[in-house]
Amino acid sequence: MAAVTIKNITKAFGDNVVLKSFNETFKDGEFITLLGPSGCGKTTMLRIIAGFEKPTSGELYIDDRLVSGGKTFVPPEKRSIGMVFQSYAVWPHMNVFDNVAYPLAIRKAPKAEIRASVEKVLGVVHLSQYADRFPNQLSGGQQQRVALARALVAAPKLLLLDEPLSNLDAKLRESMRFEIKEIQRELGITVVYVTHDQTEAMAMSDRIFLINRGVVQQSGTPQEIYNTPANQFVADFLGKVDFFKGEAKDGRIVFPGMGGQSIPYGGPRTGKVEVAIRPENIFFAEDGVLTGTLEAQYYLGDVDDCRVRVGDTLVRVITNGWEYKKLANGRPVTLGVRDIMVFEDDGLLEQMLSIQT
Amino acid sequence: MKDAMTPPRRDRTPILTKTILALLFLLGAAVIVMGCTGMKEYSASGFSSEAAYRAIYKLGGEVDAAWDKKLGPQCKALDAESRAALDETAYTLLRSAWEAQKKGSGAELDALLDGKEGEARAELVHRLLFTSSLVSGPKVGTANRKELAAIPASGLDGFRRQLLEAVTDEGAALPEAAGKLAGKLTGQERQAMLMQIWYVSNDSMNSRITEQVNTLKKTVRDKGAQLDAFRMAARGEVSFIWQLVVSNSRSAVLIGILLCLDAVLLTLLMLGERTWIPDFKWIIILVIVDFLLLFQLMPLVYMLIKAFFPDSAFSLETFRRLYTYSLNLDALKNTLIAASATMVLGTLTAFPLAWLVGRTNLYGRRFFRALFVLTYMVPPYVGAMAWLRLLNPNVGTVNQWLRVLFHLSDAPGPLNVYTLPGMIWVLSSFYYPYAFITISRAMEKMDPSLEEASRISGASPLKTLFTVTLPMMMPSLISGALLVFVSAASCYGIPSIIGSPGRVHTVTTRIVEYVSLGQQGLNDATGMAVFLMVLAILILFISDVLLAKRQYITVSGKSVQPAIVHLRKWRVPLTVIVSLFAVVVIVIPFATILTTSFKIDVGKSMFRANNFTLSNWKTVFGRIETLNCFKNSLLYASVAATVGIVVACTMSYLLQRTRLRGRKIPDFLITLGSGTPSVVIALGLIMTMKGNFGINIYNTAYIMIIAYMIKYMMMGMRTVVSAMSQIHVSLEESSQISGASWLRTMFRVTGPLIFPSIAAGWFLIFIPSFYELSMTTLLYSSTTKTIGFQLYEYWTFTSQPMSCAMAFGILLIVVFLNFILNRLTKGEFSI
Repeated sequence: MAAVTIKNITKAFGDNVVLKSFNETFKDGEFITLLGPSGCGKTTMLRIIAGFEKPTSGELYIDDRLVSGGKTFVPPEKRSIGMVFQSYAVWPHMNVFDNVAYPLAIRKAPKAEIRASVEKVLGVVHLSQYADRFPNQLSGGQQQRVALARALVAAPKLLLLDEPLSNLDAKLRESMRFEIKEIQRELGITVVYVTHDQTEAMAMSDRIFLINRGVVQQSGTPQEIYNTPANQFVADFLGKVDFFKGEAKDGRIVFPGMGGQSIPYGGPRTGKVEVAIRPENIFFAEDGVLTGTLEAQYYLGDVDDCRVRVGDTLVRVITNGWEYKKLANGRPVTLGVRDIMVFEDDGLLEQMLSIQT
Repeated sequence: MKDAMTPPRRDRTPILTKTILALLFLLGAAVIVMGCTGMKEYSASGFSSEAAYRAIYKLGGEVDAAWDKKLGPQCKALDAESRAALDETAYTLLRSAWEAQKKGSGAELDALLDGKEGEARAELVHRLLFTSSLVSGPKVGTANRKELAAIPASGLDGFRRQLLEAVTDEGAALPEAAGKLAGKLTGQERQAMLMQIWYVSNDSMNSRITEQVNTLKKTVRDKGAQLDAFRMAARGEVSFIWQLVVSNSRSAVLIGILLCLDAVLLTLLMLGERTWIPDFKWIIILVIVDFLLLFQLMPLVYMLIKAFFPDSAFSLETFRRLYTYSLNLDALKNTLIAASATMVLGTLTAFPLAWLVGRTNLYGRRFFRALFVLTYMVPPYVGAMAWLRLLNPNVGTVNQWLRVLFHLSDAPGPLNVYTLPGMIWVLSSFYYPYAFITISRAMEKMDPSLEEASRISGASPLKTLFTVTLPMMMPSLISGALLVFVSAASCYGIPSIIGSPGRVHTVTTRIVEYVSLGQQGLNDATGMAVFLMVLAILILFISDVLLAKRQYITVSGKSVQPAIVHLRKWRVPLTVIVSLFAVVVIVIPFATILTTSFKIDVGKSMFRANNFTLSNWKTVFGRIETLNCFKNSLLYASVAATVGIVVACTMSYLLQRTRLRGRKIPDFLITLGSGTPSVVIALGLIMTMKGNFGINIYNTAYIMIIAYMIKYMMMGMRTVVSAMSQIHVSLEESSQISGASWLRTMFRVTGPLIFPSIAAGWFLIFIPSFYELSMTTLLYSSTTKTIGFQLYEYWTFTSQPMSCAMAFGILLIVVFLNFILNRLTKGEFSI
């Protein structure tokens, strides 16, 4: 079990800085997710931990051992890490057993021990009966589990996963998500998981690091970053959110775009603000604070995705699916809001939300 | 309502297509039958060439014209008595002329005339006599003809009447012009001559008749057969169609077979596709397939048949005779030993080089890569010449140095290039790039995460190399090795320059020697060639069919950045080793070629007094002969490359953009062609393209261009195919959705995108065709010599320094073209 300490790590390819002064400690046994849009630098960070990339500056410790920094550089094979690649990287010329046994064979473990360990780990990933198969005889999900088994077989202190589920279909992705989490909990190892899928991150992580343009935007538990985003980018990237421009004064926020209607506000900000509200936090209520007209509904089964015109603004409301039959287009409605997120309006919203690729 | 009333229209396309296919097949069958009948007719005729029928047909036409316009009217103008006498004389003359040709033919003549009476009989006799007189009558010299032609038109009628009267009346006075020719003759001789003068003096006896008569004389040698020819021409027995069929009977059979094959192939394709809607693309496929069947497969099959059925019965006699002859057996052994050793040496060199250059941070790796690829482009015989200069036991530069360095005596040695090991050394140093290119391509395309997974599992870079990289590379490694093997085994340039003087024969040199020995030699050469051919096809099968299935690295065109291994403290020493290798294998040989070209005495240093001259260069490049060869090479290689690249582009489109059944057939044939050893291709063409199968392109430029295309077309095709595979279909589809037609899309989108590769493909066919030697040696004629062959001649018969000057000139061209090629493809091209 290992902790990872990252001290001021910066990585640049030529003039292109992909990672800016990363500072963090991943605690022993934690499930860490590096989340962000593609090109944000999350994979680079993972590859620095693995030892496939040398950081331009900064230091990296695994437990208390300096593995990268100054003149020290421990090559990947000396770091005792398990890793699952996006393309699985299952060697096509070896069968499942040999693929999985490889890390142990490299460590010159006794044959019997290798057999026992491989069988055990294949049991963990539900592949016991496939040991003699070759990768081209396996499905994508099975290959993915071979890669996972190979990463786990030598009981690594640290497991790195680079978008391991992105090549799987939706159903399989969901079940693998919980399997990986289950295995991690069982073995109690530290996991660093890279993904651009926020649902995956939310479902599995102890802590999420949301990265954009090489900078960590926020880190915290899924609840923390979902409910109290540090900035508009975080709010926008995780879940659905709508932004409304308004002005805060006298305990209320007035929205010019909604014909001057307002909502109560007890927070500290004053003047021009950006209010971010998640559609599921706007609801139909008799004693609501905003009035408007129901314009459209999109019935999705579990939820009903509605559009309500409030002044000149179209507000998205996600309500329970069973409310569908109570509602009718063209009717006036009143809306209540909860859990609003208020940011200073610095006029940079567009730029902040744009994703650099 | 009206629409509902109309019954649904049946689509008639399937029926139409089936009918056309059936008709095509029947047409083919009919042409075959016609061709066969023609061949039968010809072989029964005793004529020495099918062209006789064409001459007979044309002569028949001339006889008709002459009789109708001149001879007939002049005969009819005679009074009855003279006419009867003339006819009788004509018969007598004819009968004796025929009897003179062949004993007993008088009876044939009578049988021919039997039942004919009066005017009809007379006309036939006259026409027959006219024809035979033209071909085998008494001679009228050119001077006399001129004199006859000088008779004024007004006097001609009188002249001719006088002649005819003189034929039957020996006492009659002769006109002056005839008197000179027939004045001293008597009896039948006089009559025959007078008739001949009569014929000749008619102005229908023009140059066209003379031409047909000359052809007839050439094509019908047999005296008896000549009578048949007279008869056929006089009676107009050969119709236009018939002369066409008989004189082209072999070609007709060939065309018929192709038509039938095409019809069957098309039917099979359509059955497989479950559609009866014709697709224009199939026609293109069939045209390419027909070309390859004709010029590639047929020669190979013919050679196989000839080798196993030498006298149209199965026999291994050819092989027994060949391989019990120790020289051939040695050649066989030498070829196998040399090729195997070259394969091992070449691959052992190529793999580490490919790894160092492709996957490590070796200094100057890009430079080295370009350099090793360049060697692939250099004609092997240039390498042979260089190593000969370096390792000649007497005056080789290296030997001279070694003697000085180790204070050896002046005896020849210590190294001798004229040996089997010498040949292996030169072969290896020129064929390792084949393995290098194959391996480094695969290596650079390998997904780096496969190796990273090994590193993270705890394996060191070296361990990873041996447990992951090497096993993954194995299929490419083996196919690279096999490519080296088959190239070395079928190489002619190096063994002919190094092996032959040292009496180290190989299969290829034996084949070329046999070919120069005439018909029996040609048969023996076939026996040797079959061995080489079977070897090559076997290897092609192993690497393209068996190994391809185990190919882990799919060259998808997806460009991956391979992980670079840091060599750390090994970086400098390894760079030094690679540099030394490059100096020994590339720099020294090429420099030797250059310095030799300035020498007078090849055994002495260029810098010795009075041993430096520019005259070699002046002589070589000043000669008209060299310039002609250069022009030939340029022309043939350009034509081969241009036609080849058109085929390559078509094939690439079919392979990459269609799911059409049958598109793999031409692809397979093209691959087979490039895998066939050069000498085998050339020998096959020699044996089948000299008219015996209806195509006669022997000793022409066409045969060479076709040979170049068969051998090198695949390189162009592979390049264009891989370029096209990298262009996503969506690029073309978006152009089409924007309203551009297929053709416009090809010109505006696909064309410009793959243009560099098309140009590169062109050069890849052009370069080897330009300096080709092995096939040219067998196929050249005195007017179609190429620069490669000229160089070889200079080397063997004239002067080594001069040929070195030429070789260096070729080297410069190759380096320059290679530079263009690299710019076009960014160093990535397939072999």
